[in-house]
Amino acid sequence: MADYREAPLATRPKTLDPNEYFNLSPEQRRAEEARGALRANLKRQYQLQLNNPHRNELIEDPALTRWVYARTNPYTHFRATNKTSLLGAMFGVVPLFILYYVFKTDRDKREEQIKAGTYDRKFSLSS
Amino acid sequence: MLKILIPTIMLLPTIWFVPPKQLWSSALIYSLMIAFSSLIWLKTPVDTGWSFLNLYMATDSLSTPLLVLTCWLLPLMILASQNHASAEPINRQRAYIMLLTTLQIFLILAFSATELIMFYVMFEATLIPTLIIITRWGNQTERLNAGTYFLFYTLAGSLPLLVALLLLQNSAGTLSLTTLHYTPLSHLTSYAHKLWWAACVLAFLVKMPLYGAHLWLPKAHVEAPIAGSMILAAVLLKLGGYGMMRVMTMLEPLTKELSYPFIAFALWGIIMTGSICLRQTDLKSMIAYSSVSHMGLVAAGILIQTPWGSTGALILMIAHGLTSSALFCLANTNYERTHSRTMLLARGLQMVLPLMAAWWFIASLANLALPPLPNLMGELMIISSLFGWSPWTLLLTGIGTLITAGYSLYMFLMTQRGPLPPHIIALDPSYSRENLLIFLHLLPLLLMMFKPELIWGWAA
Repeated sequence: MADYREAPLATRPKTLDPNEYFNLSPEQRRAEEARGALRANLKRQYQLQLNNPHRNELIEDPALTRWVYARTNPYTHFRATNKTSLLGAMFGVVPLFILYYVFKTDRDKREEQIKAGTYDRKFSLSS
Repeated sequence: MLKILIPTIMLLPTIWFVPPKQLWSSALIYSLMIAFSSLIWLKTPVDTGWSFLNLYMATDSLSTPLLVLTCWLLPLMILASQNHASAEPINRQRAYIMLLTTLQIFLILAFSATELIMFYVMFEATLIPTLIIITRWGNQTERLNAGTYFLFYTLAGSLPLLVALLLLQNSAGTLSLTTLHYTPLSHLTSYAHKLWWAACVLAFLVKMPLYGAHLWLPKAHVEAPIAGSMILAAVLLKLGGYGMMRVMTMLEPLTKELSYPFIAFALWGIIMTGSICLRQTDLKSMIAYSSVSHMGLVAAGILIQTPWGSTGALILMIAHGLTSSALFCLANTNYERTHSRTMLLARGLQMVLPLMAAWWFIASLANLALPPLPNLMGELMIISSLFGWSPWTLLLTGIGTLITAGYSLYMFLMTQRGPLPPHIIALDPSYSRENLLIFLHLLPLLLMMFKPELIWGWAA
């Protein structure tokens, strides 16, 4: 059932036409047709550019331009909510303190061991 | 020393007096001759102090690889800029090459300076031509913002350095690198001395850049024209690393206590900028963040002040300079054809430009530190010395290496593999100039595999 597709040029009987079937109002049908007309116009623009023999540059996709702009300029629309502040602290602030603490304690421990003479130099080549 | 510097200075009048038809070829051949003659600097006995001395300049094993890299880069920059500059009036082309050459002069003077104030002045002087290149010849409106970030981040970081150097001059009586290493500086741990330590390294950490102060780099790299991106990625970042290596020797006892926050920043920065890289849509931005990631590793290597750490840092600086510059050139070949830096727009290029795909492959492999390239050598030495410093760093550097491999492969697969977009119909074939450019980037990298003694500084 899910793979069924209608034959492209066939017309549907009235009882299977989605507009009648779902009891769509005329306004909805007109809106659907208007949207279809817009889509068809966009496709026509693309086809015109695609098949233009004098074109030698890329076809500009405005959706791609908007997406790239959105991806590269997040800071202008940044809002400090609870979630973003928590994420910023978790990834940007807390790890630095954790790393400082870890390195400092590890190095201090080693320094104490060296001062006490108990540090085991595993890879020493000179003894 | 003057044998290289004076020809570079004389390139400036040459640029202005040469007939227009011969401008680019003569500039290229002239700078190539300077680059080849700069290889003389490599023939010095390693580990025996300063060579090619004159009153104000000298080279040693630390500055020689960086100097040769700088001199090698000028012909490459000229080669790379030939296409996009050809559309401009001839005087603007001359001005462009003049800016590149003045940048070269300042960089040679900076790397060979024996007096720290001369180094500082040249360090600041390199900002001006770079700023002009970014803001005048960049391609998008964001270039003004990028220039501002670049200038003010670096200036704000380096003004404390001026104060610190003048204080040092007052207390030590000299700022000559030849004697400063041997001058015992009596350091008490007063708060003022800690501030002085921070002031000394902050300028170089901003330049490198360290993760917290790295915001200028993606902007500057993306908005700069190709020659600007090349010189920024290859040499100007290394100026920070070189400065730090020179200055740290005299900051000694304080470094053991004060370097922890910066090492934490550097190591965490490797992972964070690597992850940011995976989310980038802009090709140049990706290469820029990859630069921050590699330089984070270099910063960590320098800050722990061990012999292997510094050696690894120097090797990684040279190897990364060549690799990053090669990647920017490859991204520029894409940009010149499609006038867009979005990675999604130009995919599947392996089908169309197979030789360029081969160069992309080698450059991406170099970026992810494939053995036996010097990138791996530097990274491995830094990671090993960091492990010796504290075993916990291995978590961060290991994950960082993984992410580096991830985004390098992502960049390669995104641009070269996959389906060619159906609306791309007219791509120029790869010019010989472009192939020569990438080859000249990768050739030194491959040759350095066979003689790493040239780039590993003082490692005995």
